[in-house]
Amino acid sequence: MKSKLGFLTGVSLKRKIKSKWFVIANVLIAIVIVALINIDSIISFFGGDFNEKTNIYLVDNANSYELFKSEIEQNEAVIGNNESSYNIILSNETIDDLKEKLKTDEDRNSIILSIKPSEENTIDVTMITREYMDLIDSQVITNSINNTKVALAIKNSSISADELNNIYKTVDIDRQWLEEGKNSTDENMSIIMTTVFPIVILPFFLLTLFLVQMIGAEVNDEKTTRGMEIIISNVSPKTHFFSKVIAGNLFVLIQGILLVIYALIAFFIRDKIGSSSITGGIGSEISNVIGNLIGSEVTSKLVYIIPITLVLMLLTFISYSLLAGILASMTTNIEDFQQLQTPIMVISLVGYYLAMMSGMFEGSIFIKILSFVPLISAILSPCLLMLGQIGIIEVIVSILLTIILNFLLIKYGLRIYKVGILNYSSKGLWKKMFKAMKS
Amino acid sequence: MLKLENVTKYYGDFLAVDNLSFEVKEGEIFGLLGVNGAGKTTTFRMIINLLDPTSGNITLDGKPIDYSVTDKIGFLTEERSLLTKLTVKEQCLFYGTLKGMDEEQILDKMKYYLDKFGVSDYENKKIKELSKGNQQKIQFITAILNEPKLLILDEPFSGLDPFNVELFKQEIVEMSKKGSIIIFSSHRMEHVELFCKKIVILLKGKNVLSGNIKDIKEKYRKKNIFIKGDVSKDELQDIEGVSEIVEHSDELEVKIKDDTIVPSVFKKIKNKNITKFVVEEPSLNEIFISKVGESYEK
Repeated sequence: MKSKLGFLTGVSLKRKIKSKWFVIANVLIAIVIVALINIDSIISFFGGDFNEKTNIYLVDNANSYELFKSEIEQNEAVIGNNESSYNIILSNETIDDLKEKLKTDEDRNSIILSIKPSEENTIDVTMITREYMDLIDSQVITNSINNTKVALAIKNSSISADELNNIYKTVDIDRQWLEEGKNSTDENMSIIMTTVFPIVILPFFLLTLFLVQMIGAEVNDEKTTRGMEIIISNVSPKTHFFSKVIAGNLFVLIQGILLVIYALIAFFIRDKIGSSSITGGIGSEISNVIGNLIGSEVTSKLVYIIPITLVLMLLTFISYSLLAGILASMTTNIEDFQQLQTPIMVISLVGYYLAMMSGMFEGSIFIKILSFVPLISAILSPCLLMLGQIGIIEVIVSILLTIILNFLLIKYGLRIYKVGILNYSSKGLWKKMFKAMKS
Repeated sequence: MLKLENVTKYYGDFLAVDNLSFEVKEGEIFGLLGVNGAGKTTTFRMIINLLDPTSGNITLDGKPIDYSVTDKIGFLTEERSLLTKLTVKEQCLFYGTLKGMDEEQILDKMKYYLDKFGVSDYENKKIKELSKGNQQKIQFITAILNEPKLLILDEPFSGLDPFNVELFKQEIVEMSKKGSIIIFSSHRMEHVELFCKKIVILLKGKNVLSGNIKDIKEKYRKKNIFIKGDVSKDELQDIEGVSEIVEHSDELEVKIKDDTIVPSVFKKIKNKNITKFVVEEPSLNEIFISKVGESYEK
């Protein structure tokens, strides 16, 4: 004879995984992940002038061509462009002739720069384009012109070549920290993690959403169809409750593994098709982050950060599933269930936004205190640990607090669940639930 | 044997079932009657262990009913309790497994009953795609799939046409012959009268009438005389002891206080052209309405 707990767990899990919506949702999720990680290749595939260099027609009356070209290269290096996006063409044509060129499709994105010497301003510059120009182009060209102006001024001041080199030489900053164990690589990692961690944690948020929806919808469905009465006449509410919690968490694990597989497929595809020259895709950013991570001391931290984060996440999934089951047992119709999802999601979102803000408000006592709060600690606590704002002890405290919450949810929640699943009236609901909790 | 001893159930301050006692032996069909809110469903829920009684004992074969004996119980709820997204087969497998049956047993029984109730074509159809009557058949099949020792049927005939009511009746009688203890509630007194040997009538949770139907009818002094012939209502209504006269299409139903009134009525019509004069016991429906009405007034 089958174990009724095992049977109910299996039925719940199969009901979710075998549904056409699970398949459709996963196909869409897989497509989105593969597309996001290979977004640059997709954009390139559909064509466009992303890889074409922008022509800058320089009408140079100030002998500034070489200096300007050099400044452009330096400015591009600052924003991470290894290969120049511009063709700087020293032009002998008149401005009017160049304007005519800009009217052609071939040169519709080209830029005319006229640099004239000026006694008052060193140089006077006119910049002509056909339409509004790209913000990055504007910044790069403006900075380059300003630097060219300074370089021309220095050059005109009869400074020797050695002195000029010294002026342009990058300053070596000797960075020091009073606290031990600090280094510049990890300092830069903090900046990266502030932006990257919320992206990494996004699947956790999504899985929480799936978990709450699955457990809530099932309990609500069994209750509103009155199938619950037959089920509970054969298995205890405790067995039924735990079957939902176990099935929900198994589902989340399976979905989590599937998300990892989709990401691996996406990276495999990226590797096979080769990345395009556009470096703005999420895939390349992730590659850069992984590269930076491997080169930093964070890698050694990951050995304990990953397991401890997984433990905390798993315990938090259990908390959410217990909470979803208890609340769903109190609902009397599908509308109630839809409404109950909102507060649970808000709790999860609070953790998500605080994790994103933790880098901006470094050292915030408020955020540190909230990192201990169960349900949001799974997102916030590992984020603060990565940023070095809390230590491993604090995360262990968060784990203990989540265990205590789970214990309380099982102890008191089960009493509510037992009464809630057979209650079909919303009249005096909270009174009934508090009474059940005390019983 | 199912035995309820002094069972009382309070919901907060509300008394739902008041000191209820009865017993049902193997092979007996027992009727639990009452108006809406009388406490029938609460009683059923206590029997199948969904609710704990505030006081009193409920036993099956001398043992308290808990999850160790629920595999021997079949329960059909008043409202549909089917998971509408499942197919008929999935539904049978689901409830059958919860009753401790293995897959082979479930499928054998399912095929037998689907065939018997003429719904074998719906095996792979979703419950929500079936008509109300067919859903009720599936619900009934899932309740008897495990051939329960104790079968509880809360309004089993709702949504059924007369043909299917007959099918259900045959199956219920067959199960009682096999030794099942059957308790059922129905608003249709003619069904209760046909099936049950014993009944309890509940009103506001209290037992207002109980015992064998035959004894109840005998004890109930009021009788009905059915008269067909050349006689009018006005001629009979002044007789002492006649409480009411109901005109049917081709006959009169004279309700009298007790047997002693019969000669007075007969004397009044004996010289007329009469083709029918039958003294009958009142129907259970009449007794039910009368008892419930009396108790309401009290």
